[in-house]
Amino acid sequence: MPTCLEILSTGVGCSIQDSGRPGWRRFGVPPGGALDQYSMRVANALLGNRPDAPVMELLMQGQKLRVLEDTWIAVAGADLGGRIAPWSAECVPVGSVLTFPSRRSGLWAYLAVPGGFQVDQWFGSASTDLRNGLGVPLKKGSLLESGKRLHPDAFERIGRREYVFAEQRAFEMERSFKILPGPQFEAFDPATRAQLVGAKWTVSSQSDRTGFRLKGPLLKIPPSIPSEPVLPGSFQITGSGQPIVTMADGPTVGGYAKLAVLPERDLDWLAQCPPGAQLSFQWVA
Amino acid sequence: MGGELMAYGERAWLLRGVEDADRFSIGAALAKEPPLHFEEYVLGHSSILLIFAQPVAKTILEGWLSKADFGKRGKAKNSKLHKVPVIYDGPDLAFVAEATGRSVEEVIKIHSEGKYSVRMIGFTPGFPYLEGLDPRLQIDRRNTPRNRIEPGTVAIGGPHAGIYTVASPGGWNLLGRTNLNFFQADQCKGAKIDTGKIFRLKPGDQVQFVPQK
Repeated sequence: MPTCLEILSTGVGCSIQDSGRPGWRRFGVPPGGALDQYSMRVANALLGNRPDAPVMELLMQGQKLRVLEDTWIAVAGADLGGRIAPWSAECVPVGSVLTFPSRRSGLWAYLAVPGGFQVDQWFGSASTDLRNGLGVPLKKGSLLESGKRLHPDAFERIGRREYVFAEQRAFEMERSFKILPGPQFEAFDPATRAQLVGAKWTVSSQSDRTGFRLKGPLLKIPPSIPSEPVLPGSFQITGSGQPIVTMADGPTVGGYAKLAVLPERDLDWLAQCPPGAQLSFQWVA
Repeated sequence: MGGELMAYGERAWLLRGVEDADRFSIGAALAKEPPLHFEEYVLGHSSILLIFAQPVAKTILEGWLSKADFGKRGKAKNSKLHKVPVIYDGPDLAFVAEATGRSVEEVIKIHSEGKYSVRMIGFTPGFPYLEGLDPRLQIDRRNTPRNRIEPGTVAIGGPHAGIYTVASPGGWNLLGRTNLNFFQADQCKGAKIDTGKIFRLKPGDQVQFVPQK
């Protein structure tokens, strides 16, 4: 398989992700996968890949990649200021260095190569879960293979492809989400439930692939519960009275009460809210 | 099969109030004769989460629960006894001794004389929630979780004992460490996956802690 990219710098962070590894939660293995599945699918669609082919997930800024042979590359999701604008694909000549100097919108960018990145699979998925030792960790000097070669003229001699404009997403620093009641909704008093939807919440910088922490008014927590399964998108209210929204690499079981759950498709949007973003919530009617 | 069904997100149902005698038979029934669109299940302490590939009406699941063959109720099949060597030198021994009004030696004695069984696996890959912790050692978790706890750390949290299986944050009180592996990440590669090689423990297994010098 063609070796197409060398990592010169991982920047704030980058990893290989796909649609994850559902099916192993009862063994404590989180589902994992790209935090913004929509943008992953778009990056793949731009190259004619299958929707869940392994992509590179780039966080915030600072990544540098050397192109080792002429190759098509697609980018979707966050705008990290690179030469390939998000929601588009280009054929990039050998020797080019792709840099992602600074975040302009969103949080995670998804970079796809023809056929997807070729890496080993753990529990049937290429997704990297560093904490649990699953997937290939990317380092300076890592060489990455694509699944196939695409001729520079592969797309009718078109030099650049762009995803249909109406389907491109714009990520703002303020966003409102609809939420569903969580398994412990009834255990929280009405005033606390009202606080969750009445207040503005700020995404904390202590957020990662396991969970996004939100800062806002202190919520009154109910008595602790027997440990129970946890789904991504759950608003777990911790001992400090602040919510953590569980993400793809989060624990499969936990003892915090869950006040609300985000509808699954909206997790993609939440994942693109960077630290400092202002969020508000409404109960689904 | 008793219990209360509650919607959790758009395509999962949480069955709460599951009786101890039913905890293992439902897993077997799901494997043998799953309801339509069923994807996977997760055991909780007294709950089971059923995840579907798409939203499924409550009545369909109620129908399945009333008709499925749950076989013999009771204990897990093929459960094993595991003796786990522990060096009791954890950073929270003194704290646990103080909080329970005992000496460090007594805490070690009570913990290592306990007979434990795996209630469920969760939190991180292979992490066992062990039941059977002596009530004298049941104290709250730490207010501020630690950022990093090493794999093999033997700990207690609320009503449970446990063993950290990967380096992770955690809020339990740390009593000691074992050199046994409870999760073999290098065995999960490729197409053939043998869960028996990857995970040392499964729900229903018994655990004894053996103090080491």
